[in-house]
Amino acid sequence: MFRLRTHSTDPVTFSFEGRRLTASRGDTIAAALLGSGVFIFRNSPVSSSPRAPFCMIGNCYECFVRVEAMGVVQACLTEITEGMKISKVSNLIDESETGIKESSKR
Amino acid sequence: MITQRPMCDVAVIGAGPAGLTAASELAESGRDVVVLDEQGAPGGQIYKGVEKVVADRPQDIGLLGKEYVAGKALTRRFRQSGAQYHPGVSVWQITSDQEPELALGLLQNGSAQMLHPKHVILATGAMERPTPFKGWTLPGVMTVGAAQTLLKSSRLLPEDDVVLVGTGPLLYLYAAQLASFGIRPQAILDTRPSMSWRAARLGLSALTACPKTMLAGMKWLWNARVRVNMVRGVHSLKAQGEDHLSSVSYETRGRRHELSTSLLLTHDGVIPNTWLSMSAGIRHHFDSAQSCWVPDIHGAGSTSRDCISIIGDGARIGGAAVAALQGERVAYEVEAYLRTQHRAMVTTESRALRRQRQLRRFLDCAFPPTADFQLPADETIVCRCEEVSAGEIRQVAARGCMGPNQGKAFTRCGMGPCMGRKCALTVSQVMADARGVSVGEIGHYRIRSPIRPITVGQLADMALVSGED
Repeated sequence: MFRLRTHSTDPVTFSFEGRRLTASRGDTIAAALLGSGVFIFRNSPVSSSPRAPFCMIGNCYECFVRVEAMGVVQACLTEITEGMKISKVSNLIDESETGIKESSKR
Repeated sequence: MITQRPMCDVAVIGAGPAGLTAASELAESGRDVVVLDEQGAPGGQIYKGVEKVVADRPQDIGLLGKEYVAGKALTRRFRQSGAQYHPGVSVWQITSDQEPELALGLLQNGSAQMLHPKHVILATGAMERPTPFKGWTLPGVMTVGAAQTLLKSSRLLPEDDVVLVGTGPLLYLYAAQLASFGIRPQAILDTRPSMSWRAARLGLSALTACPKTMLAGMKWLWNARVRVNMVRGVHSLKAQGEDHLSSVSYETRGRRHELSTSLLLTHDGVIPNTWLSMSAGIRHHFDSAQSCWVPDIHGAGSTSRDCISIIGDGARIGGAAVAALQGERVAYEVEAYLRTQHRAMVTTESRALRRQRQLRRFLDCAFPPTADFQLPADETIVCRCEEVSAGEIRQVAARGCMGPNQGKAFTRCGMGPCMGRKCALTVSQVMADARGVSVGEIGHYRIRSPIRPITVGQLADMALVSGED
């Protein structure tokens, strides 16, 4: 999808589904995840089909993620912060499930 | 947040060229102005992250283009104007004209609050026109605007296998920006019809009226044609893949082709974001020249409610230059309203604005919405949230469903978290077509507050705060 972030002058460490990742300070959660090679943000509640950011301006609500101590947020409108614990939102998939198969593809 | 001052003269919603200009004008003339912005920094979508780019990545300014640099002066003036800026604020409600007092419901960092302005300027800008086709919900399919946002705010660049599809100036601009960053997309699948005589004629007058903009646009198009593999006459698009996009297939000149790719960027022009203005009970109509719903506007930005003005792309698609000009003009109207409590209307139009109008007439004619996306095939999902297909909408229309609002009861179409933002236009068009009436007649979803999700807990906390006052 997007070129992976190789370096950052002002890095922020966070986790997605238990995996430790880094981003640049000031990034949105959506940019942080896409720049780390995460493709699937959640599964739709209707058919469990995989979803990822679509509009990036807060209108499509495809980029919902769960952030510890914040709840479900729009990843494209929320800034990443140090130590943030992020996980997928899904009605059908066990939330305790860790490790994501799509991230191991690259 | 704004706890210490729940009142102000003017609340401006949105911090793009329209909102920033109007706020600067009014604040400079001594008005108490509050700007509410969903984004984290001023600039709107067009000048997204411009302050950060200027400060941290000056080498990127030239690569993003002259059009982007214009945001620098705009944000600088705004920062010095004295207007209060509140980033990261969602407006989930504007009280209706039935309520005794004008008030805005705000949400920032998870806490809700009311603000009581004397006047509201909506500068909510545009959003990309929906581009439904088979497979458009797959991860790996996103809009050109989304990719451009990632480039401006985070310098994320697509991999070389990226494919662009659709039409519209933004698509060609993004391709030109990629070229300056050294990226050549695998292909541009162009859905634009060939240029009509009328478009050519309008193009000539647009060239006389706005030569700089037209020449810049021609350069983008030249780049797309010469440096990128541009395929013309593309239709019947399909995105394929298991849990992620792996390929895209399309038809042109009677033959089907397929490209392997991990990223497909779609674009089909932009439409006004009318969710706030519709929820505020302002009158709207369907604008057939731009194929979208727009608020009824008189003068610079007067609406059917005296205390609410609308400017910029949220009023009608006009682009950044028009948005800034409208910001200047609306300040006179708002100032007059604040003094007299009656609405005043600016009726004269500057030459610059008339010239921009000529440019827009050409753009509307030369880059019409793609037919395939307007009336998608039965199998295509239209409502991404509730996964309702175009076929299901046609079925309920055939059974006598009167319009989009009744359609909700049958299909749940438009009732997911996006509240219809990504399907409203398509649903109205498909239903109008199925019932043989105009889009204006079939109507639009009724939009009601809260227009952004808000929890009961957040509302309850707000009640507690005001109870303690």
